[in-house]
Amino acid sequence: MTRTIEAAEPTAPPTAPAAARAGGAAGWLGMLGVVVGLELRQRVRSVAWYVLLGVVALVVGGVIVVLWVALQGVQRDLGGAIFATTIFLVMLVTSLVTPALSGSAINGDRDGGTLASTQVTQLSATQLVLGKVLGAWIASLGFLAVCVPFMVGSAMLGGLRLEAVLVAIPLVVLEIGVISAIGVGLSGLIRRPVLSTAVSYLLVAMLSLGTLIGFGVATVASQSEESRPELGWEYDERTGISTCIETDRTYEAVVVRPDRVWWMLAANPYVILADAIPPGFGNDGHPDDVFGQIGLAVRMAQEPPHVESCADYDPRGIWAGDTPREVYQRTVPSWFVGLAIHVALAALATWGAVAAARTPARTLAPGSRIA
Amino acid sequence: MESERAVVPHASPPPALGAPEPVRASHPAFVDPLEGAATRVDLAAGGIVVDAVARSFGAVHAVRSMTFHAKPGRVTGLIGPNGAGKTTLLLMLASLLAPDAGAIRIAGADPVREPRAVRRAMGWMPDVLGTWRTLSPRVILTTVGRLHGVPRAAAAARADELLVEARLEELADRPSRVLSRGQQQRLGLARALVHRPSVLLLDEPAAGLDPTSRLELRQRLRAFAAEGGTVLISSHDLSELDELAEDAVFVDRGEVVGGERLVLARQAAREWRIRALDPAALSHELARIGVAFDRVRIEGELAFVALDRDEDAADVLARLVRAGVPIAHFAPAVGDIERTYLELSAAQGGHGRPERGGVR
Repeated sequence: MTRTIEAAEPTAPPTAPAAARAGGAAGWLGMLGVVVGLELRQRVRSVAWYVLLGVVALVVGGVIVVLWVALQGVQRDLGGAIFATTIFLVMLVTSLVTPALSGSAINGDRDGGTLASTQVTQLSATQLVLGKVLGAWIASLGFLAVCVPFMVGSAMLGGLRLEAVLVAIPLVVLEIGVISAIGVGLSGLIRRPVLSTAVSYLLVAMLSLGTLIGFGVATVASQSEESRPELGWEYDERTGISTCIETDRTYEAVVVRPDRVWWMLAANPYVILADAIPPGFGNDGHPDDVFGQIGLAVRMAQEPPHVESCADYDPRGIWAGDTPREVYQRTVPSWFVGLAIHVALAALATWGAVAAARTPARTLAPGSRIA
Repeated sequence: MESERAVVPHASPPPALGAPEPVRASHPAFVDPLEGAATRVDLAAGGIVVDAVARSFGAVHAVRSMTFHAKPGRVTGLIGPNGAGKTTLLLMLASLLAPDAGAIRIAGADPVREPRAVRRAMGWMPDVLGTWRTLSPRVILTTVGRLHGVPRAAAAARADELLVEARLEELADRPSRVLSRGQQQRLGLARALVHRPSVLLLDEPAAGLDPTSRLELRQRLRAFAAEGGTVLISSHDLSELDELAEDAVFVDRGEVVGGERLVLARQAAREWRIRALDPAALSHELARIGVAFDRVRIEGELAFVALDRDEDAADVLARLVRAGVPIAHFAPAVGDIERTYLELSAAQGGHGRPERGGVR
């Protein structure tokens, strides 16, 4: 179709961008910042996000107030308990909302046709995916932010341990980041937004509930029958003291072995949080907040079944076994293993999404569109 | 009169007695104007060079083998039926999709090995224009500029400039979801121009545009090409392309249509639209000078005459004028590109062949 008149050779090609491109790490981060800004502009400025924040504040606030009213007569220093409850509620809420916020970050953009618009710029796939992860992370941190008033309130009630705050807050921030990264990563790997969001939820549920269920089922499955020595008791009417007596009889007991399967709990985000925070033991020798109680439960699960003997009782027949503090000291912490598993999952999902977002694309999933 | 060439189709009934002797039908000359050019391209040339590019998705060969050169300083149309591989080709040119085979150069850069250089030189306006619906045009343009590596202040200034050019100043700070389809298209073109590219890839840029915007688009693309830019437009609006494109690449079933098929298509009869102040005299004279009746179609005041060659058209016009018919309008009913396209699809047994030669 070439018409006969040949156009004159171009003399002045359109000018290249006059602006000098920022190079190096600063330029790289600047570009990342643009993506984060783009994500936040879209997410944070939506009415739905503010409505969600309000709902979360109401729900958490309601639970805290009810708890405070109910516990007032029971305990003196409520600060630690209220703070721990707030943190767990924030964890629960963000694990329920973050997959929805991040689960369609990449494939939703692809469906909307905006992903390719960013891919034909100087932006690299790494910057694109990391920017989206950071954007989702920051947006979800809003749920932590609206709960800050309750944490401040718990601090004013007294009894709040500084180390609990210093460990809990960074861990919650990190866990929210892990969930955001998993959501964004899966949205880059799975083509349909609905499916990737659902898979993100399943993964979060697997960590939060699946580990508990797995632990419970495995504990039941690992039970065995053992014969145990039977203890006898001699009651002295004069002093009112029962004395323990070793007998040569035995009885068959069903013994569960949580110590063989306790490691499943290590990947549970709530366990990580509870295990990481140094426990505070109250006057009665027991942990004084939810963190410590869950932490102690997990530590006790590590213990092999205890064969009861008269040595466990003092001369007055009162239980003189190990105190929670002793249990804590001889069992192993597991939170860093669980955290490492979470961070590895997040890194894997992010890396997969980066690989999938790389252009020019060589392979495409069947039926997928890239623009 | 006897010696003059008249216009008579090969298979038409003999003309009425007393009419001027019909002249022999024109033989298609099998001269390929694109000979050599369509099969061999110089990868070092500027603009867009596509050499034996192929891409398949599983068993579907979207692009089998495409070779062409869109030259700098010119507007090139990419024309073909649905499913011809146009969008796949544009995705490869836009550095989003890697070809299975063959080579592509955009302003001298290879999209596979140097995607950044390609993206610096190339502006892309996709057919399905995704836009950040909650963001304003100003924010969109500034953001895209910054993603191209332009500093904040320069990106904001460029956004202002493009908003004026796209006539979107009044909507600049409203969310882009309030824009109409045509306004979205103008925003899309502005977005493609943010980083002052030297190559423009446009997929259906005129869809949804009002006549004024169309005219503006045409002028802007012409100006862009006049400054040495390369423009490749994929469009179904063939009359629009006829106005705008200087070169055309016809693609069908994943291949560039070239050689004999193209020459034959270009030599096929085309319809000419004739309007005379005296319609009766026109139809009478058309019959008298020996235009076969099945080549003439009268619609109201207009006569449509299917003619094989431009020479025939000149001849018919000369005869009509000489016979004193007051001709007010004499022009091809369809443009070059449209005619070629329709002939190509007709040769395939496809649809869209213009209705012509039918007895009224």
